Amino acid sequence: MLVSDVMTRKVVAIGPDTPIRDVQALMEQRNIRHFPILQSRSSAEPDELVGIVSDRDVRLVGADHPRAPAAVTAADPISRLMVHPVLTAHPDDPIEETAKVLRENKIGAMPVMDEGRLVGIVTGIDMLDALVRMSGVYEAASRIEVEVANRPGALAELLRHIAARNVNVSSVLTTRGDPDTVTFVLRVATVDGHGLARFLRAQGFSVPWPPAPSLDGQAPSHGRPAPADDDPTPQA
Amino acid sequence: MSTEGCKFVYDPDLAGFELAPDHPFKPLRIELTRSLLSEVGLLSEADIVRPAPLDEDDILMVHDRRFVDAVKSVSVAGKAANDATLAAFGLGTSDNPLFDDMHDKIARVCAATVTAVELVADGRALRTANLAGGLHHALRDRASGFCIYNDLAIAIRRAVDHYGLRVAYLDLDAHHGDGVQWLFYDEPDVLTVSLHESGRYLFPGTGHTYETGKDAGRGTAVNVPLEPFTEDGSFLECFDMVVPRAIERFAPDLIVLQAGADMHRFDPLADLWLSLDGMGKAYRRVVDLAESFTGGRLVVTGGGGYDPYQTVPRAWARLWAEVTGQLLPDDLPTAWRERWQQRLGVTLPAVSGEDPTGWSPAPRRAAITSRNRSVAERLLANLEKIWRLPATVRGRSYQA
Repeated sequence: MLVSDVMTRKVVAIGPDTPIRDVQALMEQRNIRHFPILQSRSSAEPDELVGIVSDRDVRLVGADHPRAPAAVTAADPISRLMVHPVLTAHPDDPIEETAKVLRENKIGAMPVMDEGRLVGIVTGIDMLDALVRMSGVYEAASRIEVEVANRPGALAELLRHIAARNVNVSSVLTTRGDPDTVTFVLRVATVDGHGLARFLRAQGFSVPWPPAPSLDGQAPSHGRPAPADDDPTPQA
Repeated sequence: MSTEGCKFVYDPDLAGFELAPDHPFKPLRIELTRSLLSEVGLLSEADIVRPAPLDEDDILMVHDRRFVDAVKSVSVAGKAANDATLAAFGLGTSDNPLFDDMHDKIARVCAATVTAVELVADGRALRTANLAGGLHHALRDRASGFCIYNDLAIAIRRAVDHYGLRVAYLDLDAHHGDGVQWLFYDEPDVLTVSLHESGRYLFPGTGHTYETGKDAGRGTAVNVPLEPFTEDGSFLECFDMVVPRAIERFAPDLIVLQAGADMHRFDPLADLWLSLDGMGKAYRRVVDLAESFTGGRLVVTGGGGYDPYQTVPRAWARLWAEVTGQLLPDDLPTAWRERWQQRLGVTLPAVSGEDPTGWSPAPRRAAITSRNRSVAERLLANLEKIWRLPATVRGRSYQA
């Protein structure tokens, strides 16, 4: 998934001379939190990105607040508040890269530039949306976590066992604990997630989720002698 | 009360097929239930209604044409599974395998549920049952969780559009009733209430308390996710805290109950620990709610239930007994047992009830009960806030 898949294309940009009070009004009216600031240039060249402001910068102007910018009034141009130079993204950047830049620089948004032209804006909320989509959480599924050795082919082997049961995998996410293991969070389109977990355990996989029914040392049977429940053969 | 005013929608075709030989969803359990009811004298020929034919247009009121066409295209023998285009429709997997005449067979299930609703909507019956119905996971354009078409949604659609009824849909299956919920999520005239094992542990993963409906339907979806190993007492406590209030507030004309039987302790696919007695008490409550709020009008269906021979027929026999105000005898008929034992090669119980004396108590019972109670309390507090909003602002979602 790339920045171009998640960015907002209709960007409201403003000029550096726009009075701060106009920006305040625009933020409230349009429910926008970040404004790229563009300086027009001569003739054929696209407008130049000269800065960015966030709602927090703008809201504090004129407020009786210790962090309010000193000697700035709502009548001043936005150029007095804007941040520059601006960190930007490219439409072809992978979203995980963009998320990392946002996080490491503690910023909420980046203008997306293509050949010097502003083509969109991408925000932390877009990153969350992307994560939600990548997780497959909108699809009906059973969620299982499987811990495997961190070595080539481990995921392939896991998926081969799942494929043998003709179960479709909606999504795979990866989390890492210690360097030797990888935990895959899978969403699988089957009602019998417990059956799949049992099957994988019988194949020697470590399946931390869903928890085995034998909670607190209870017998795994559902209260009567266990049937051939742990039979590892595929059911269909 | 006798069975007067109660109808059992049935046709042997509804029970005479399998999705796949080893598939956990066993339509045959319906015939075990029907024959049991007949042989204990709770169901006569006069109570049984054959399903009326269903127009494909009724299916298309709920499902996408492309999806229905895909189901029809694979309803011929020998069609290869693992077709990539089928996977997008949720078809050809171990959960939803291809089987002969699948379109016709599942359309008949839908027809039976529509018939059950029409009998009540027309005033030809007060309470009806279609135990073959209850395919609550099927989505607009996708088969899911053993469900190809959503008979419940098709029948509710008909009740709303054709009869102008407000419908309260109540789902007691161990799995969240996601298909029905999403299909009516933004509609003000259909309330969906689902009690289920929490999606953290169980398919389909949804059914969180914060799923409350959207737009004009805000406040018309109610979800009570329960802890694994929830037993009768805690289940009924949560039911009593949430369900009567939701139904009273919604003021339905008709209650549709999905009575999946997989919340039973012996069900192999879920982890709720109800007994037949607890399930029977829940059914009784639903019948009473219909008495109080819909003039008695009630349609019940089956659903999940994967201990298909020992547990499900006894659970649904109780359901029919409660619906019709009859008493299920303690002893099950020997002839019934012997016939089915021979045919299925399994041992069937001799009595209609259970003796829980030897059952181990649920692990962490107190913690489970307390957690479920607090989920229900917070859910209700949130819903009451939404319900108090004027209809004009209720549809606007909260700003983060």
